[in-house]
Amino acid sequence: MNTSIKVQGVRKVYETDKDRIEAVSDVSFSVEGGEFISILGPSGCGKSTLLMMCAGLESITSGRIIMNGVSVTGPQANVGIMFQDSTLLPWKTVMENILFPVRIQKRPLEQHRERARELLEMVGLSGFEHKKPHQLSGGMRQRVAICRALITDPDVLLMDEPFSALDAMTRDEMNDALVDIWRRYPKTGLFVTHSIREAVYLADRVLVMTRRPATVVEDIRVPFGRDRDRSIGEKPEFNELCGHLRNLIDHREHVLRAVGKAA
Amino acid sequence: MNAIRREKALDIALPTALALLLLATWHVTSQVFNVPSVILPAPTDVLAAFGDTYGELLRNAWTTGGEALQAFALATVLGVAIAIVMVCCAFAMEAFYPHLVFFQIIPKVALAPLFVVWLGFESASRLSYSVFISFFPITLATMAGLVRADATVLRLARALTATRWQVLVHVQIPYALPYFFSGWKIAATMSVIGIVVGEFISSKEGLGHYILVAQSRSDTAHIFAAIIVLCLVGLIPYGIAVGCEQIMKKRWRG
Repeated sequence: MNTSIKVQGVRKVYETDKDRIEAVSDVSFSVEGGEFISILGPSGCGKSTLLMMCAGLESITSGRIIMNGVSVTGPQANVGIMFQDSTLLPWKTVMENILFPVRIQKRPLEQHRERARELLEMVGLSGFEHKKPHQLSGGMRQRVAICRALITDPDVLLMDEPFSALDAMTRDEMNDALVDIWRRYPKTGLFVTHSIREAVYLADRVLVMTRRPATVVEDIRVPFGRDRDRSIGEKPEFNELCGHLRNLIDHREHVLRAVGKAA
Repeated sequence: MNAIRREKALDIALPTALALLLLATWHVTSQVFNVPSVILPAPTDVLAAFGDTYGELLRNAWTTGGEALQAFALATVLGVAIAIVMVCCAFAMEAFYPHLVFFQIIPKVALAPLFVVWLGFESASRLSYSVFISFFPITLATMAGLVRADATVLRLARALTATRWQVLVHVQIPYALPYFFSGWKIAATMSVIGIVVGEFISSKEGLGHYILVAQSRSDTAHIFAAIIVLCLVGLIPYGIAVGCEQIMKKRWRG
């Protein structure tokens, strides 16, 4: 398989008047085409910053990111994106919101309208085309955001904690929906989360990031095929893996605190 | 359901009753205390004044209303254009904004005679003066709205490779609309004030001119009649603004 994303020695440093803050330090990994990667880490470890650099929304201090053979210097049209907030435009209907990327990128509207209907059906929102975002629940809004991210059939999908603002039950539902979507539209995916179970359930590989150094400390393959459902959460391998990741993060945080106290 | 209807009826009945009460008090006061009609003409006198000159009043209302609407339209275009330029171009913002604010501090009525000096006695001076005093609320409100677009939506637009122009049209302007309307409604009333002030200073027709003529004849009843017509004229631009706002709200909420 072809390599879809290559992250090579990427660093991000924010300079303020007094301080230099290293938000991401020396991260390297690569993602095969069609692979789904979770980036797992505690808040403030730079995982979102890393994702934003992949999206071309943040500058890269040093190193480089190559996406589909092209060095990332700014936003690319063949990348879909989802944020923690659904970012739907409140004055547009569900259908118009899904077609927003099509409009912006001046693609043919009519043929995408058909695709939008298929996507809506897939996420279980048929018949909601003409509703406005305020008439939908939080979970429904995120479903619409998924449709919007997929409408232009991008090669890569970048997701920045898209379900973290939802309640636990809705979140489980959204995870199931995403697994289902991935079976039908296998795309390269980067999924940032701070939920261990979510990271394992969704991904082919989990990259663990820590604070100080804000880098990837482990790259773990998830031992389940794409054809999975929520029942894998009860398997011992699943829980062992989650336990391992928990320890990894706890240990790092513990060391950090100890170092902090000593200093 | 019935309670709601009763409340709605009350919403109309109360202000109407109060207005009628005031009118009655006015009438009784002018009759009982024998107030000279130069000071306070009775409502019936005002009605009579309207009766004998309604043709002339309407003609003047047409002039004033037409000019006010033109000024309102020009102020809208100018106000929005300035707001967009200021928000899109940091240089323009830094260069012009302090001056714009400074001009607002000047009591603008004091500048009205200058417009006549520069632009003559015709409608150009009244229009420019009216535009001058009414564009600023639009600019200020629109600017506030344009910069208040949701930050993550702006980010999304950028990620979708939207151009500066697309961000403005598809994101910033729709987000600015509710703010724009609050400024637009103020401008609607200002535009009429601007024309009337202009007419006070220089004009051969219009309700402002009519009021001055009536005043020179100490004909207070006609002044009152003209003021009432002026109120009705003022309702036109304001009504347009409120109507558009309602349409926008309906489309927004769906």
